[in-house]
Amino acid sequence: MKLWHSFVKEILLASRGFYFYVEIVMAFVFLFLLLFVIPDNFSNKSTEYLYLDLPKAAADAFMEFSVAEDLDQQGEAVEIKSGKNIYPANLIETDTSKIYYLESAEAVIQLAEDEKNFGGIVKLNEAGDGLAYEYYLQGYESERMKNLLLLFHNTEMSKLEETFNAQEVRPLSDGFEPLTDKQNMVPVFLTFNGSFMGMFIIAAYIFLDKKEGVIKAYAVTASSVWQYLMSKIGVILTTTLVSSLIITIPVMGTQPNYLLMVIFLLATGFFASTLGLFLASFYKDIVAAFGAIYGLIIVIMLPNIAYFIPSWDPVWLKIIPSYPMLEGFKEIILPGGDAAFVLWTSLGFLVAGLLLFVFSNKRYQHSLTV
Amino acid sequence: MIKVEGLYHSYSNDENYAVKNANFEIPKGEIFGFLGPSGAGKSTTQGILTGLLQLQKGNVNVAGYDVKNISQKMFNKIGMSFEQSNVYSKLTAKENLDFYRKLFDGQTREPADLLKLVGLDGKENVRAGEFSKGMKHRLTFARSMINNPELWFLDEPTTGLDPAIASEIKDIIRKENNNGVTVFLTTHNMFIADELCNRVAFIVDGEIKLIDSPKNLKLQYGEQLVDVEFRKNGTVVKETFSTIKEEEKQRLQKVILDYEIQSMHTKEATLEEIFIKVTGRGLV
Repeated sequence: MKLWHSFVKEILLASRGFYFYVEIVMAFVFLFLLLFVIPDNFSNKSTEYLYLDLPKAAADAFMEFSVAEDLDQQGEAVEIKSGKNIYPANLIETDTSKIYYLESAEAVIQLAEDEKNFGGIVKLNEAGDGLAYEYYLQGYESERMKNLLLLFHNTEMSKLEETFNAQEVRPLSDGFEPLTDKQNMVPVFLTFNGSFMGMFIIAAYIFLDKKEGVIKAYAVTASSVWQYLMSKIGVILTTTLVSSLIITIPVMGTQPNYLLMVIFLLATGFFASTLGLFLASFYKDIVAAFGAIYGLIIVIMLPNIAYFIPSWDPVWLKIIPSYPMLEGFKEIILPGGDAAFVLWTSLGFLVAGLLLFVFSNKRYQHSLTV
Repeated sequence: MIKVEGLYHSYSNDENYAVKNANFEIPKGEIFGFLGPSGAGKSTTQGILTGLLQLQKGNVNVAGYDVKNISQKMFNKIGMSFEQSNVYSKLTAKENLDFYRKLFDGQTREPADLLKLVGLDGKENVRAGEFSKGMKHRLTFARSMINNPELWFLDEPTTGLDPAIASEIKDIIRKENNNGVTVFLTTHNMFIADELCNRVAFIVDGEIKLIDSPKNLKLQYGEQLVDVEFRKNGTVVKETFSTIKEEEKQRLQKVILDYEIQSMHTKEATLEEIFIKVTGRGLV
């Protein structure tokens, strides 16, 4: 009962404070961004500027071939505004790129330089019986990229096609829908606004109590320190659930496994809260703790890079708690996600959280009141 | 009610002791004053007795509980009023007391009664953050009574209060003591100690220099003095005479006979003067 009374008091205090609303307001801000700012899928089409330095008949044939590749099989006359200059162009848009056919080689070179995009000039080779390509790159392209261009222009198409077709690609599983780019952002918000925000807020609550000295008053009651700490964690878990559902329900609808999500949020929220408690036990006030908090923010943000750039995924990154959190939330919102992974990861966070809670409780018993 | 034997405490875990070899015993029903200047070791001793600081060396028994292995049940028997007010500023006065009363196991007092007792009636639903320093102090004092303590720790209970309120607080302490509550009073205010305490301990640099009743201390260390104002050669002269020293008694007689007396008051030595005499230290 004392734990319940402490929890009710903490909810009351939180509802009259600033930090409680930070998480909720941030959830609405993120929701707004997801619903109205972030598109379903980010455009990843490359932009290229081309000039056909060819006799008219050859240029017409080239364009005819290019227009056939256009999404609606017809080019579009456009104007490219770059700085103070306006360049007329013919735009051909395919699945993977936007190709602007310009009226002069100078325009291609200028635009490649100003807009930091790929530029190229197509001309006849010296023998006059084939095409030659002159590329204007930015200078930072990799050797792989340059080699690919060399290979492309110096190898017979039939051979390349033969090699492509010889590659065997086997999907490990099928029957699932990939997430849109927008949906793919949800695990990031759940990890950082949902679970990890609690770490900072609980530390802020502890420092506020230290400042007011109310912990001393609590310490001379017939209630235990662990009940005091657990009541604060209870508040954090409540706000974590509320803020996470604010983001998830409107964006994901009925797609996620909400039971799994609640279990995972409670486990990860508990872990993050106890981490915050443990951290706060070493410092007198939030100013003294700032350096450690800042360092921790940097570390827990690192798995974000691997999340968005899967080619960078070193082993050491996987021990940072935000890594399995991101993966866990992704499995939850994926149709047919790996429930076993989520449950095992939840268990891991719960055990780690319990250990941190025991350590924190020991530390607070001897450090809360001096 | 309290028994302390060979108590030592060091914040740096070395031989630089904040409290050195403290020994004292407080029987049930006594008001015991723990007096000393800032940094003397008063708060450290009180911190150990209330479990706020961990016992390092010595034996301490409080309200029947060994502080070495502190039991949460001990706190049902003790109350603690802190020098620095420490209430939840975002909760109202009543909410503060309502919350704390739920943290004890036994019979507790009605928050409204306590607020009335300390002169905060009518302020029940005002948030503590809106209170003046004195009002917060009274709320902290009221909270320390919420569990009907048998042993009451009071740390500078009248500091920062105006004289009328301070007088009311002293009356409350007397009344609670008359009902059998043992009081451990920590203060550097010798007047309140003199008024309230059955016995006092003088502590300086972590060491208890003496323990006795204010009355015995005055008998032992104090002098009976007389302040006299008299007119001599057209001007008013003020002098203090001892009524114990023969030479000064005779001089006093001469002054009474030879000069026009303006005023004459007997005066006994204050506890503060005795403290300075015994410890060689002031109280600030």
